[in-house]
Amino acid sequence: MMEKMLELKNITKRFPGLVANDSVSLDGVAGEVHAVVGENGAGKSTLMNIITGLYHQDEGEVWSRGEKLEFSGPRDAILKGIGMVHQHFMLVNRFTVVQNIILGYEGTKSGVIDFEQARNKVEELCRLYDFKLDLDKPVGELSVGHQQRVEILKVLYRGADILILDEPTAVLTPQEVEELFTNLEKLKTQGKLILFISHKLHEVLRISDRITVLRRGKVVGTVVAGETNKKRLAEMMVGRPVLFRLEKPECEVQEPVLEVRNVTIKTGEDRQSLNNLSLTLRRGEIYGIAGVEGNGQRELVEAVMGLTAYHEGSILIKGQETKGKCVRDVRKIGVGYIPEDRHHRAVVLPMTVWENAVLGMEGDVDYGSWWKLNIEGIKEFTKRKIAEFDIRLGTIDSAIRNLSGGNQQKVVLARELSTDPDVIIAAQPVRGLDIGAIEFVHKQLINARSNGKGVLMISADLEEVLSVSDRVGIMYNGEIVKEFVPGELEVEEIGHYMLGASQKVGEASHD
Amino acid sequence: MTKKTKIMLLQIVSPIIAVLFAVIVSSVLIVVIGKNPLEVYQIMLEFSFGRVDSIAAILFNATPLIFSGLSVAIGFRLGLFNIGAEGQYFMGALCAAYVGFSFGNLPMIIHLPLAIIAAMVGGALWALIPIYLKLKRGVHEVISTIMLNYVAYSLINYLISDVFMDNNQHIPEGTGSPIIRTPKLLASVLMPKLNDFLSLFGIDLPSYAYVNWFFVLALVLAAGIYYLVARTPFGFRMRAVGSSPGAAEASGINPQGVYLRGFLLSGAIAGLIGLSHLLCFYGYMDLDFPKSLGFNGIAVALMGNNNPFGIVVSALLFGFLSRGAEGIQTFLGIPMEVVVIMQGTIILSVVVAASILGRYIRIWEKKEA
Amino acid sequence: MGDMAELLASALRMSMPVLITALGAIYSERSGVTNIGLEGMMLTGAFWAAYGSLHYGPMGGVFMAILMAVLMALLHGVVTITYRVDQIVSGMAINILAYGLTRFFSIELFGMATTSPHVDGLSKISIPLLKDVEWLQPLTKDISPIIIVGILLVFFTYWVLERTTFGLRLKAVGENPLAADTLGIKVLHYRYYGVLISGAFAGLAGAYLALEHTGMYVEGMTQGKGYIALAAMIFGNWNPFGALGAACLFGFAESLSLRVMQNKFIPYQFIKMLPYLLTIFVLAGVVRKAHPPASVGIPYAREEH
Repeated sequence: MMEKMLELKNITKRFPGLVANDSVSLDGVAGEVHAVVGENGAGKSTLMNIITGLYHQDEGEVWSRGEKLEFSGPRDAILKGIGMVHQHFMLVNRFTVVQNIILGYEGTKSGVIDFEQARNKVEELCRLYDFKLDLDKPVGELSVGHQQRVEILKVLYRGADILILDEPTAVLTPQEVEELFTNLEKLKTQGKLILFISHKLHEVLRISDRITVLRRGKVVGTVVAGETNKKRLAEMMVGRPVLFRLEKPECEVQEPVLEVRNVTIKTGEDRQSLNNLSLTLRRGEIYGIAGVEGNGQRELVEAVMGLTAYHEGSILIKGQETKGKCVRDVRKIGVGYIPEDRHHRAVVLPMTVWENAVLGMEGDVDYGSWWKLNIEGIKEFTKRKIAEFDIRLGTIDSAIRNLSGGNQQKVVLARELSTDPDVIIAAQPVRGLDIGAIEFVHKQLINARSNGKGVLMISADLEEVLSVSDRVGIMYNGEIVKEFVPGELEVEEIGHYMLGASQKVGEASHD
Repeated sequence: MTKKTKIMLLQIVSPIIAVLFAVIVSSVLIVVIGKNPLEVYQIMLEFSFGRVDSIAAILFNATPLIFSGLSVAIGFRLGLFNIGAEGQYFMGALCAAYVGFSFGNLPMIIHLPLAIIAAMVGGALWALIPIYLKLKRGVHEVISTIMLNYVAYSLINYLISDVFMDNNQHIPEGTGSPIIRTPKLLASVLMPKLNDFLSLFGIDLPSYAYVNWFFVLALVLAAGIYYLVARTPFGFRMRAVGSSPGAAEASGINPQGVYLRGFLLSGAIAGLIGLSHLLCFYGYMDLDFPKSLGFNGIAVALMGNNNPFGIVVSALLFGFLSRGAEGIQTFLGIPMEVVVIMQGTIILSVVVAASILGRYIRIWEKKEA
Repeated sequence: MGDMAELLASALRMSMPVLITALGAIYSERSGVTNIGLEGMMLTGAFWAAYGSLHYGPMGGVFMAILMAVLMALLHGVVTITYRVDQIVSGMAINILAYGLTRFFSIELFGMATTSPHVDGLSKISIPLLKDVEWLQPLTKDISPIIIVGILLVFFTYWVLERTTFGLRLKAVGENPLAADTLGIKVLHYRYYGVLISGAFAGLAGAYLALEHTGMYVEGMTQGKGYIALAAMIFGNWNPFGALGAACLFGFAESLSLRVMQNKFIPYQFIKMLPYLLTIFVLAGVVRKAHPPASVGIPYAREEH
């Protein structure tokens, strides 16, 4: 009888306005990969934060190896052998790899750190698990895959037996995912328990032994991976049958509406430059940009929108050159923008819903003259959009930060589409949204494209890019290295391009 | 009552509670030096409200504080700290003084507004330096404005002592040396007091009361600022940039332009702070020109929650405090600095109360949406 | 040669208050808390150093200075760390409070708002061996012990930040408090340490100003040095040796300006302006190099993520 390494009994956690975890029970044994799946907002993160001691449950118990656990903080969880590898890395960019690994676990009696001893221990671990890392580099300069290794090492350095990986593959290339899975298999043979949080169902089915599905804070069920399939899991996650094919009507592609020609931007050491980048977006198509984050996607968007100046190359929107134009003038040509960073770029959190609905348009004819805001008119407009976009909220006078992510994004969409732009730049448009909102946003983008607009969509989620786009460009190191139509390339090949390999398939990736 | 009303009430009550807390702290201090707090407050209230000249003094004291609070509040709304109101009002006052003693033969209808405009220009120019440095070189405006305050003090000192020193002062034999001051300002630039106007309503202020039309101007300005911030596109942009420059920029608003214009406006208003004293009370500018009116604006703005109406009320409160301080110093021998201490304590308690309150409001609002 | 030493010694003396305060500011800022109130804490230190020296001797003065300044820092800490109020607002309030409190107690305890009586400074010390070298004497003979302490603190601060557990965690808390929290580090505690240390240093700097430099407390004697110390910290890139360099620069400029004060050509008011103008120029020139701690100025709250 295998003793349970981890057992959650009826865990409940409440926040103002919602029950994040509702009587959740699950267990894990040594040498197992146990996946926890659910939509955004299903309660996965909260549950993990409880297991790792960051939050405390309102009801229920956490048991491990026959012992009830009471945590007063993350330190206690670490002492009990529970280690979390966060989705958003918890690293101090200015510190070296070694400094990041020993932080909080410096192992000193006198208060003075023995860096040499620490380094040796880390080197040892790297050898044991076959991790290749430059230990003295500031972590901020490492690749995403390497940063993740640092996170895993942090946890192993503290002797963790229970590893929790939160959406580990979200930012990895297909090759890096393979490497990760190899490492996980090795950890399994060492008797570790691995909790694998993900919404990527095909990966989950590959690597896990058992899968627990959460929906709206409750456990829907725990199944054995070999005995289920993607369709069933998705249904459990959402509570209804889910379509995996997007409805995309046929659409004729017309003339170019956005042309980026040989744009090069050199910026400081920590920002990727654009490297002679060229792409063409046409009316009636969705051009998706695939690629690992940090390869210039953000810089491309900022250059197109006029947020960053460019001097080499040219960008034409509807035939007009945008060099030197400010954001306002670029938008005037006919561009809508759905920024990647919703909270800092798309909405002003403390302002009301109606104010956010016209952000940037407050001086326009319908909404005010220079000496007076037409508040009534703005509110009318907002109410219409609320109905049109089915936005759930209390009143339009409440601060937009009180709305859910999905509803906030709908306000952004409503605003950006209201000017009937010919080009729509959508950067990570469905990040952090639940399935219903995701479907809605994709539908809006497809609608726009079917009405003859051009949509440029940037996403780190390869699945999304392949299902939504008409054409895809893979971005690596500041340029488009390959363009193709979804279906033309195998996922493996795509991965190679994402890592910067040349056209030769099967070439080993850089490390 | 609805949640919204509850929240609004709390927003008014919380500064009051904060003030009470400050009062308690000051009482402790008064006890420490061996005096009776109740006696202190009794004298303060009697002295401040029991006499007509005190009411006039409160309004007079409040006038510069309203300008100061509005100036600082505009900065806060933008997400900037205009601690430089100190230097800005000194520069503004000198510019107004210059206009005042330099141009003879101008009717008041031109001379006075000219001086006011000069003050606004002076204040705005002194604010231009820090905002330019911030926008172009990333210099934090807190340090640069404070440094410029010190520079302004020295510069004004020099200008009054050396450049504009009035060497034609008429001093009777043996009664002392000339005062270090600018020439006296011409009558055509001086702001009339409210005495004549109020006597129409049967209120007779003594001749040593100096409350003047700048008080009315301050109220009008407060109303104007309220309208600007809440009801115009520029005010909308100010608030958007102040809360989220990133989102404003992405939407097409130009944060740099908004920062520049807003900060210059703040400086222009700061320039007006000293005018009530200059153009009505003193009639010239000397080395004893009142200092720290700019700093006091910080307390007024915070207590008024950056809201023009709240600022007027806070300014009146602080006006009452300074008047009361005169009273307790005269009658009880307690140093006026108690008031400064109260000011500092008020700022801290108000912002702590606001922070706690803000958290509760957010929790309630989240429950609703 | 002797003149050179004299000039250096004078610059060193002038730079001490800024240096010590800037070092303290490093602890606070690197833990994530901006401390604009250092000006007020230094003034508080100066006042209580004078009072303490009058009644308990110079060491008593130093002790009281540090104690009272730490109390002010505690107030700043509670307001900004526990109540998460804006750090600049709190800092300015502390300055206003300090100004009022020192004047108030000055009237009560000294009878005057503006100055204290002359007070004794600490006994001077001389560096063994070097004190007999004649041309080095301005630097080595009969100098204030606090100057030695100040220089030692530079090295001490470097050692703490780079080699100790405390330093590593303090820096982490200022760069990425959430990451530190997940590793079991008590973010709020370390921020308090940072603020309190900065207060203690500011108090010491104030004591130096009152006891060693001027020989008494004078109203407003800090003259903006608390803010200049922040500029020195920024110019020094939040690094103790950088702060040393920056403070020396300011000390040098001030020392030079004092000598020039007596001349007939430039009015003294302009010379008085120099330190402040220098500060602005220095900050304006710094821009892109600066690497402030990533989380400085942002209050930390766990459940907000």
